[in-house]
Formats: sequence, C-alpha cells, structure tokens
Amino acid sequence: MVDWVKLAQRSRLGRRLRLGALSVFLVAVSIPIAVPYIWMVMIAFTARRGMAETGTLWPALLVILVGLGIYGAAMLWLRRERLAIVMGVLTAFLLGLILLGQDLHLQNFRFMVNANIIDDLDGQGTVGERYPWVWEAFANSLLLASTQTVIVVTVSTLAAYYLSRFSFRGRNTFLQSLLVLQAFPAITLVIPIFLIVFWVGLLNTLYAPILVLTALELPFFIFIMKGFFDAVPWDIEMSAMTDGASRREAFWMVVLPQVRVGMIAIGVFAFIKGWEEYVFVNGLRTGESYWVMSTYLYYVREDVMGVDYGMVAAVAVLYVLPALILYLFCQKYLTQMTLGGVKG
Amino acid sequence: MAQIELKALQKAWDDAVAVQDMNLTIQDGEFVAILGPSGCGKSTTLLMLAGLYLPTGGDILFDGTRVNEVEARHRNVGIVFQSYALYPNMSVLQNILFPTRSQQTPDAEKRAREMAEMVQINQLLERRPSQLSGGQQQRVALARALIKRPNLLLLDEPLSNLDATLRLTMRAEIRRITRDLGVTTILVTHDQLEATTMADRVVCMNAGRIEQIGRAEDLYLRPDTLFVAGFIGSPPMNLISLPHPLIEVPSIARTFGLRPEALRPAETGLPAQVTHFEPMGREVLTTVQTPLGLLRFLEAGTQPRWQVGDSLHLTHARDDAILFDGTGARIPNATALMTEQGYA
Repeated sequence: MVDWVKLAQRSRLGRRLRLGALSVFLVAVSIPIAVPYIWMVMIAFTARRGMAETGTLWPALLVILVGLGIYGAAMLWLRRERLAIVMGVLTAFLLGLILLGQDLHLQNFRFMVNANIIDDLDGQGTVGERYPWVWEAFANSLLLASTQTVIVVTVSTLAAYYLSRFSFRGRNTFLQSLLVLQAFPAITLVIPIFLIVFWVGLLNTLYAPILVLTALELPFFIFIMKGFFDAVPWDIEMSAMTDGASRREAFWMVVLPQVRVGMIAIGVFAFIKGWEEYVFVNGLRTGESYWVMSTYLYYVREDVMGVDYGMVAAVAVLYVLPALILYLFCQKYLTQMTLGGVKG
Repeated sequence: MAQIELKALQKAWDDAVAVQDMNLTIQDGEFVAILGPSGCGKSTTLLMLAGLYLPTGGDILFDGTRVNEVEARHRNVGIVFQSYALYPNMSVLQNILFPTRSQQTPDAEKRAREMAEMVQINQLLERRPSQLSGGQQQRVALARALIKRPNLLLLDEPLSNLDATLRLTMRAEIRRITRDLGVTTILVTHDQLEATTMADRVVCMNAGRIEQIGRAEDLYLRPDTLFVAGFIGSPPMNLISLPHPLIEVPSIARTFGLRPEALRPAETGLPAQVTHFEPMGREVLTTVQTPLGLLRFLEAGTQPRWQVGDSLHLTHARDDAILFDGTGARIPNATALMTEQGYA
C-alpha cells in the first residue's frame, strides 16, 4: 500500500529545501556584485581627507539589510507591496540617520561647482593653468553618446530592413561577415584606426570617436534589427501597398511602428556604449583636446596631489546616474528584445 | 468592378517556374475560386493580379487594358490575406480608413462606418486588432479591402485560420457581401469545400498550370485530368492502374477511376473483405481489401452494416467509371466494368 500522505509530505519538504538552497545561492552570488556599488555611493558621501574608510560601509550594509528584512517581513505578513516598500525605506532611512548621520556630507561633490578640485593650490592645476570642467566632459559625453545613437539607430534600421526584405547578390556573404566582424576584439584596431583618423584630419576632435564607435557597433545592431524586421509579416506590407501606399509609405506607416521596441532597445545599448567608452576616446586624442566623463574620471584619479578617493567615487556616482536612469525607463523594452531580436 | 483577363501568364523565378501559360477570363461580378495544393502557383497568380509580383510573361488585362506594369497602389484591388494583415498600430476604424487616406474624400468615415456595419463590427471600431477574435479580424480585413470599391477583390485562404463553425458562417457572409456589392472576386484556397461552396466557377491548378476550369459539379462529375479526379472529392476517388485482368476497358485506358459512392454491395461482383470503417454522420465510409487493392465505398446510414473481416461483393454501374489515358487526360464517353472473374 502506498502512503500518499507521506509521499506528499516528502515532496513538499523537498520543494522547500530546493527553494531555500536556491535563495541562499542567489544571495551569495549577488553580494559581491551589489556591495561595490553600495560602497561607491557610501565613499562618495562619507569619505574625508581623501581616504576611503571602511568604517561606514558596514553600518550602511546593516541599514540596507534591515530595510530589506522589514520589507520582506511586511510582504510576508501584510501582503501589500506599496506599504511594505514604504515601511522598508522608512526604517532604513531612520536607522541610517542614527548610525551614519554625522558622517554624511557633500564635500566630495565640490567638483560640480568648482573646476579647481585641488583646494590648497589655487591656480595650479594639472593642465597648465586650466582645469578640466566636469560639465564640459558631461556635455561632450552626452553629445558623443547621443549623436552616435542617432546614427546607429538610423543606419541599422534602414540597412536591416533592406537585408530582411530584398534579395541581392552577396546578401548571405554580407550577413555572415556582419557576424565575423563581431568576433574581433575592437581594441586590436586602435593603431590602424588612429592612423586613419590622423590622415583624415579628425584627430583630437569629437567626430573621431563618434564615427569610429558607430562603425564598430553597426554590424551587431544591424543583425539585431534584421531579426525584428524578419518578425514583421510580409502580408502587412503587401496589404498596405495594395491599399494605396508606396513602398516607402508602407515602411513608415506600417512596418516601422512594429519594430519600435527594437529601435528603442538598440538605441539604449548604443547610448550606453558611447557613454562608457574609454579606449577610443582616449586613444584618438593626443593631449587634452576634449574631455569626456571616462577620461575625466581617469584624470581625477590621477591627480598629482595623491588620489582623493572620495571625489573619485563622487565622479563615479555622477557618471553612473544617466545610464542608470535610462535603463530604468527603458527596461521593459530591453527585456522584449528576445522576442524579435533573436528569432531571426 | 471589372472584367479580368489573363493571357498566357507566366511567372518564373531564377530556379523554378511558378506559373505558366495561364489563360483565364473572369466576368464582371463573377466569383472565381483558384483551387490547388500548396505550391501549385495559386498564390503567385494572386500576387501578380494584385500588382505585387511582376509577371515574367503574358498579360494581365483589367477591362481590356493591359495592367502588367501598373503598381499595386494604383490598381484599386482589395486583398484579404490568410493572416488578415491588419495594421497592429492602428485602431479598427483607422485600419478600415487606411485605403482612403490618399483620396481625401469627406465622407470616408461615413463610408467606413457603413462598411463596418455591413460586416457587423460597428461596435468594435475603437479597438486595436490584437483585442479582436480571429473572426472579427477577418471582418475588419474584409471591410478594409472593400471600402475603396475595388475593381477586384482577392481573397488568399481567408478562412484557413478560423474554426469550423465560424468558417461555415463566414463562407456565407463573404458570399452575401460580394454578391450584394457585385464585386469581381477571386478566392485562392486549397480547401475544395470552400471553393465549391462559394465560387461560381472553380479553376483547379497543379504545378503552375490550370488543370480544369468549370463549375463545381463539372469538376466532380467530369474531371478533365487524373489530377482533378484525385484532388476533388472527399473521400477521394478510387484509382486503379490498368490494364488489369478484372477490368474490362478500351485498350488506351491507363487508369480506372470510381467515386466511393458509385460502388455498392451486391449479390455478385468483385469479392471484398472489410478492413476498416469510418462512420461520417449520415454515411459510413468502408475500406475493403479486394483483388484490385484497397477500395473505399460510401453507404447511407448512421450505423456500419458490416464488421471488420466480413466478406461481400461489390458492383457499380458501367457509366460511373471514369477512364484516363497515359497522359492523364480523361477519355470521353468511355465506360468500363469490374468483373468477378477475368473477362479475357
């Protein structure tokens, strides 16, 4: 006779054990990923005299853990998400005020209002008489990232449409070479690209990294967009054309709205690539001709007076913020990328 | 509304011929079905009529005027695809209005509402296509195809994505609407029931060629070719290769065909043993093993009269046999009879 009750009990226990083990594993692997970010923020707001002190890190972690604990407990017993979030945040805030209140300050963010980041040596910066100004770097980064985003999205959308819909001699070879290009590490091309940029006369201008990054990113994004276009049925286009639309109108009015998600997704990725780029912005200038956020961060770190870790962390926080905001707003499009993108 | 004429129409791809030597005249207001298995060239023909494919030979005439090179958007043709091909980014009303967009007629919206009423979707005008059921989407597609008073309405497997009951309703609906409007209609389908129930005339195609043009009963009772005989009719015709010692036929006949309902059990005749039966509602389809191979016959009745393993004799009227020569063409006015013993 089979004991159903006992079997069911055993299965319940097994399920709980597996779920518990999985949770422990996931928490364990996410700690080393999450802690550096927490630490970065803590250093930016608490470090004094240029030293990175670990003293504030542990209380900060404690605050976050308690906050999460309260949130989890509230979810378990009250089962109301908004209330749980409010309770968790409130507890963390109050506890943080008690434990860290007197350590928090904004001194490390002084680079945002004063280009002279070395307070003690007025007038003598590292760049001759001139200090790089963070907002100039910020604006340049913004320009670099958004310009190449616009180019990448436009070109890859049009190219992918053509690749998806028209057959022409060499189409398959073209598609295969798109992927082969992606296999080479871009950094191996730094020297030839430097030479080309020098000959063309774009060295030390922002055009150089914009064009180079665009060229390097296009193959992959064309491939992604082709997948999105492949997923749009032919019928719809043919239908629009019998309904009195020209091919171009059909593309604009009927096909393009259906690949909007793909365009947003590659736009976000292209922007973030441009925003974080270091190799080609640093490699294609021979002095301090232009500053972007990544080179500015490097400059702050390299200061002659010894590293001010507090300020490095503060710059890093400013650097991360736009990308983070963009991700948060476009998250739902990015997760949909697999729907159209990988199908092709 | 227009009279449509195809003269020696041909469409060849690089490696294959999809349609060849197609001659067909469709009267103004006529409903013609193009019937054939998948890959027979019927959809290619449809797309050439719509102006989406350019013919590689022959002519297409609308009311006597050659329109080969006229673009799809200028032909004033309405088309309904199997997938309905509604524009997902537009509401139902916008979908129906899309073909009128270039004409700027003030009463377009009024007409769209009339169309919506005719296909009974006037409650759904503000919805998006994704919020509609298959049958409703079908109706929207039909309204959209008809709003501009097309010369020609093309239906590409319009009912294949609907369930059986809905298919029955839509068959009658489409027939009613096209008759009310008097629009010349071409239906492309692989479903013989659709073709024979809806169309005034049926064009049976195979391997890029027209096999036979005629009314449904012509195709059923007097198939011109072996292909039509085998393709039309469900359950299919019994076909036996000749010469056979048990069949008395003219010597040029190479295939002997007999509809399942033409065979009947008798006191004497071809000996047979029941191997299988399928009750089909009002009739029972019985499969028997005979010296001529497996044969099927239909008998009226809701209950099977036989059991598996029963022995019986089968006979038929001499005139019911259909004979084909070595090229697959029907031999007119020929009769034949299966005999109990060899006739020689």
